[in-house]
Amino acid sequence: MDTKKFEALLLSVQKPGRYSGGEINSVIKDKQKVDVRFAFCFPDTYEIGMSHLGMKILYSQFNSREDIWCERVFAPWTDFEEVMRREKLPLFALESRDPIKDFDFIGFTLQYEMAYTNVLNMLDLAGVPLKSKDRKELSPLVVAGGPCACNPEPLADFVDIFFLGEGEEVDLEVIDLYKEHKKKGSSKEEFLKAAAKIEGVYVPSLYDLEYNPDGTIASLSAKGDTPKSVKKRIIKNLDKVYYPDSFVVPFIEIVHDRVVEEVFRGCIRGCRFCQAGFIYRPVREKSAETVNRQAKCLCENTGYDEISLSSLSTSDYREIEPLLSKMLDWTEKSHVSMALPSLRIDNFSEELLEKINHVRKSGLTFAPEAGTQRLRDVINKNVTEDEIINTCKMAFAGGYTAVKLYFMLGLPTETDEDLKGIADLGQKIVDTYYSMPNKPKGKSVSVSISVSTFVPKPFTPFQFEPQITEEEIRRRQEYLKSCITTRKISLSYHDSSTSFLEGVLARGDRRLGAVIEKAFLSGCRFDSWTECFNLEKWLAAFESCGISPEFYANRKREYSEINPWDHLDYAVTKSFLIKESKLAHSEQTTPNCREKCAGCGANCYGEGVCFENR
Amino acid sequence: MKTVRVFFKKLGRMKFISHLDMTRFMSRLITKSQIPVWYTEGFNQHIYMNFALPLSLGFEGMYEILEIRLNDDEYSNEACLEALKRVSPPDIEFVRVAEPKMPMKDIAFAEFVLDFGDNISAIKEKLTEFLNRDSIICEKKGKKGKIKEIDIIPKIASFSFQNDKLVLCLTAGNEDNLNPSLVMDTFFAQTETEELFYSVTRTAILDKNKKIFE
Repeated sequence: MDTKKFEALLLSVQKPGRYSGGEINSVIKDKQKVDVRFAFCFPDTYEIGMSHLGMKILYSQFNSREDIWCERVFAPWTDFEEVMRREKLPLFALESRDPIKDFDFIGFTLQYEMAYTNVLNMLDLAGVPLKSKDRKELSPLVVAGGPCACNPEPLADFVDIFFLGEGEEVDLEVIDLYKEHKKKGSSKEEFLKAAAKIEGVYVPSLYDLEYNPDGTIASLSAKGDTPKSVKKRIIKNLDKVYYPDSFVVPFIEIVHDRVVEEVFRGCIRGCRFCQAGFIYRPVREKSAETVNRQAKCLCENTGYDEISLSSLSTSDYREIEPLLSKMLDWTEKSHVSMALPSLRIDNFSEELLEKINHVRKSGLTFAPEAGTQRLRDVINKNVTEDEIINTCKMAFAGGYTAVKLYFMLGLPTETDEDLKGIADLGQKIVDTYYSMPNKPKGKSVSVSISVSTFVPKPFTPFQFEPQITEEEIRRRQEYLKSCITTRKISLSYHDSSTSFLEGVLARGDRRLGAVIEKAFLSGCRFDSWTECFNLEKWLAAFESCGISPEFYANRKREYSEINPWDHLDYAVTKSFLIKESKLAHSEQTTPNCREKCAGCGANCYGEGVCFENR
Repeated sequence: MKTVRVFFKKLGRMKFISHLDMTRFMSRLITKSQIPVWYTEGFNQHIYMNFALPLSLGFEGMYEILEIRLNDDEYSNEACLEALKRVSPPDIEFVRVAEPKMPMKDIAFAEFVLDFGDNISAIKEKLTEFLNRDSIICEKKGKKGKIKEIDIIPKIASFSFQNDKLVLCLTAGNEDNLNPSLVMDTFFAQTETEELFYSVTRTAILDKNKKIFE
């Protein structure tokens, strides 16, 4: 499409900066001089996708190779989709504005289940057949990675290759193999068979499933010499692996509009509800020197004035205090502020607080996750009420007057007593504030309680648990609301129907492919956006496919049942998850990885926290 | 400390960037350029930036002005220009850096070129008749969202056609500002003409004597 016409179309929609491209540090190459064109697709809006660190890393890494041109693609918002369909404008990549159907790879990152209809919508807008079996040619290959690839079965019909685990190495191995096969003129089938032999590559079409009369999986078999099980990949040394020295700096404001510096991968904690805590094991840290050097370089190359030190639990970084001292040396001079997300209550020291205070005061957020000690023991969130209260005291003494607390509702074994515990804890924090002689003068305290709905996820000890029904979610939300009696505490919670669907998709199998397609065809997209989500359409899609969503969400699974993801090896063993599940039901905690190895299986890589000197 | 004005063009893909996003963008670009820029000294310190005249989303600008301050009096305007050029994206073109010659409040007019492409022949006559009226009353949304009726004719200093493009000279500045979109919206509405796409380029910022503002 010619530029004038295209630009006129852009001016007819909201936030045209989402689609214009041309940002600082975006990569333009000569398409005649590259061998492989890769469309990196984030199945949500530009503002969300551009905030995602994984995409920044792989975008820069792919483009550091002369033979690859990686470009970005985001889901067009509904207004622009309408324009695109009306004007027959196929989905294009931001850098070249070329249609992505002509690319070698169309790669998706799957960050949450509610983006699945967007994946289909983007393929459809690109003019590419949705189903893997309907795409006969070698290219475009539709590939996908990210946390949801740990149970990719609901998307098995649509995606040719899933990358399990961290992508920096395996993605390039597959691209190199593709180059060879493209040169040889191989068929898609030949290529997929060869790719399936690379560790971390899962080709769903090479596996057959059989089902029992009760709907559970009877058996899974691999075709030919395809490996029976696929093991996720990890990067062993984070000091040596590629990290970008610049980010694309968006023109329009995005969700996380700052430098993001990763300090470690994985988490030592093992909270039993947390999928990230298990699928990213083992913990591997970057050295403070590397973090400091990379962060400084990124600030210089982007012009950002804020850095976020990112990980699943940044206060667990062993060198956090020396790192902050080192960084404060230059950040203050260059007017750069630091943010530390994901702090924990139990190791939040006064020194740390002082260092954060040095730069910028934002809100303080903690995640007790459950209202009573009993339930916190069940979920293995090893923090005590005393620790929570003490941390709040410290924060109040340091001048903070607002605290935000995250909780989950619908956790296994939860009773009304536990819900009341959430309100009580909020009240105790309010009381603590007013009992302090050194509280900030003349200011009121505000405690925000944010309650999300627990969704059982694969590769966690709670993968066997039934999710509570929507009606029960709503009843518990109402009950919790009735327990809160002061205006100093504000309560917010998640929509119950999105949590239900998320639960279905998270532990779904291949038969859900038909449902997702139906839902997409009936107009579902942007399901994680309340203004777009339509549960009725989804329920109609389930109905017409003869599939019960409750079978996936609300059923207790036996330990012996074959799960749709059991042939994928995320290092953490099923026997460990069963052991943890039993401990949860007997309200016993498990020490974190640094205190004592729990024998989860992640030591198989020979790296990380499992081999630290303790 | 010295105050300088950076003259630049905002072209192509940059026209999709709103004024608010533009301020964020410029602040990062200046940081990246490592020029010795002056920060405000308040509670929330930030780079001092003063845009002469915001440019609407969708417009290109050939004569855009950003005022900043430099900590280092010895730092030359040429060095400043070079540093900015080194980090600028393709669609921002830095032209020159110079000390201010006129105070910002002297801004009185801005010149716009409206390009209708091949459609111009269909509306040229109608447009001429329209712009020659004695008064054009239209509704304008005020800053507080209040709709008031105004006459835009006194705000149109001049118009002409050059190379089949409409050139409008309109009042500009803090006190009295007319956006060419309002002129065109009113034209389409009041003459019952079907809305056509046109591109807008701001080509100059002028003082009350129609001299180039510097």
